[in-house]
Amino acid sequence: MLGISMISLVGVLILVLIFGFVFSKGAAVISWDFLWGDYHETVYDTYYDEGLDDTVFSRPEDLDDTIWFSSVWGVGFTDSVDEAGNAIILIVYVHQNSPLSSLLDKNEEGNFIAISNGQIVNKVIFGDNIILYGSDGAKRAAFLFDQATIIKDMITVTSGGGIRGSIITTFLLVIMTLALAVPFGVFTAVYMHEFAPKKSKIVKLLRRLIEMLSGMPSIIFGLMGAAVFIPFTSAITSADGGNLFSGALTMTAIVLPLIIAATEEALSVVPDDFRQASLALGANKTQTTFKVVLRSSIPGILTGTLLAVGRIIGESAALIYAIGTAIKDKIILTERSTSLAVHIWSVMSQEVPNFEMASAISIIILLVVLILSLLVKLIAKKFVIDPSLR
Amino acid sequence: MLNVFEIKSLNLYYHEKQALKNIDMIIHKHEVTAFIGPSGCGKSTLLRSFNRMNDLIDGCRMEGNIYYVGNDIYAKDFNVIDLRAIIGMVFQKANPFPMSIFDNVAYGPRCQGVKDKKILNNIVRQALEDSALYDEVKDRLREPAICLSGGQQQRLCIARAIAMSPEVLLMDEPTSALDPIATAKIEDLIAKLKEKYTIVIVTHNMQQAARISDKTAFFLLGELIEYNETEALFTHPKNPKTEDYITGRFG
Repeated sequence: MLGISMISLVGVLILVLIFGFVFSKGAAVISWDFLWGDYHETVYDTYYDEGLDDTVFSRPEDLDDTIWFSSVWGVGFTDSVDEAGNAIILIVYVHQNSPLSSLLDKNEEGNFIAISNGQIVNKVIFGDNIILYGSDGAKRAAFLFDQATIIKDMITVTSGGGIRGSIITTFLLVIMTLALAVPFGVFTAVYMHEFAPKKSKIVKLLRRLIEMLSGMPSIIFGLMGAAVFIPFTSAITSADGGNLFSGALTMTAIVLPLIIAATEEALSVVPDDFRQASLALGANKTQTTFKVVLRSSIPGILTGTLLAVGRIIGESAALIYAIGTAIKDKIILTERSTSLAVHIWSVMSQEVPNFEMASAISIIILLVVLILSLLVKLIAKKFVIDPSLR
Repeated sequence: MLNVFEIKSLNLYYHEKQALKNIDMIIHKHEVTAFIGPSGCGKSTLLRSFNRMNDLIDGCRMEGNIYYVGNDIYAKDFNVIDLRAIIGMVFQKANPFPMSIFDNVAYGPRCQGVKDKKILNNIVRQALEDSALYDEVKDRLREPAICLSGGQQQRLCIARAIAMSPEVLLMDEPTSALDPIATAKIEDLIAKLKEKYTIVIVTHNMQQAARISDKTAFFLLGELIEYNETEALFTHPKNPKTEDYITGRFG
């Protein structure tokens, strides 16, 4: 007795350690900017040569004391440090009428760029060739801006490190996969359970195959994706190499056995009474199947679908081949991108592995999977169709 | 008097086992015919062959003929869907679909392609009134049928069957799972429904057969032992086996 409880204690301890590690590493990174920001830094190269009018911007009262304010340009700076620990100047306030909100683009004639909160000042060259460097600090930045009337060249950088692109990819992947796998899976299960002859050898073989497929390592599906689906999708779309379509097809192959099994299970607990009552009312087989039997199995199908969603969100190995490992901010269906799980793989296989970001993404994935499994429980509780429990 | 069903030398087998032996009988229009007999005597099997529900059972094989108003219902070109639409069936265990009360009753007509809301409303209301359920459920037609009591569920199943305006109602021990009060309500209902429909009822309860039926058939081990006016069968059984059964010597 004592031995068993000790072993289970060790098991629980290991789980707690894993969760503790992930949360302690990643929790601090999670913020709105992290969830919805760009992953890649964007560099803006801008100038302002019109000369200023006499407008003086007043310092907003709710602005923090640590912020240095330039009343001539209506902009606030603060001192901060980047991931590597270097001092940087962060823009934290831009007045809506500030000239900085409509600077001219150096790289594209006639294009306007708005400097906004969160951008980092890299280098500014003012009218009389006075230069502000990114390491000069917020106080000097505000001082130099207050002296200046024109800006010859201003280089700012957005912070980056967000996972919006991967969130969108994951979301699209889930939708596209379910759009394929749910109809296919449900119809296959309906055929096998309701229409095929009871003792059909083909159905038996099919069932055995599906069982086998559901236990297959996903990397093998990934190979299939690379060998079959990528050439296939490249042939019918403009894709070249991994893309979201081949990813969705590969995931469909992975979750199809899951959905078929869940649907068959749901169909098998529908009481035969329902089928008989429907047929006795002069309904045909199709009507009986779709209006009564399938309707009663919706909770089971939903449960299978939610499990499939969990599987799609958590899958990495197969998708490394099928969609690729390139982290993108702008998602195009026919191009490579990463799902959240592959994003973890990507940031961990860089030269300097980014543990914090990987842990933060892990927290997001864990939370989603947790919510999904709670939903499954809730559905199972709410729609019990076993007549003995009525 | 019109013949609804005419059964001619019917033999029925489940795999090798013979369930019905050489049955010949006639069921008349607008009468209540009761099938009685001990468990396993084939009375439910015979009932289920009237709307060909036995087709659904693996290994069920039939010889002989059953004519419904002169048509051989086991003929090759006979449409079984149409047959089941005009022959309603009520099962031993109330089996409402997991949908609302309204949708349950409207199910049959909808499957026949009735879409007009007004017509459906009328059909559902009429069927519920005819099955003496309307007053109890008129305010909650959109609620799930599972919320009803056992007796109400069984009357709902009757309403669902008569919403198809069938010619015949087959009832397979409809009250065996119900308490005496719910049973009495269904028996009253059967007496009322008799005016519109031909009813064939299988029952374990001999008193029930005596109370509600016009004719009674007694089955034993797959054979039709005696078939007569109910009163005659219960007061002057011709066959000693019938007498043994109705006096409670076995069964």
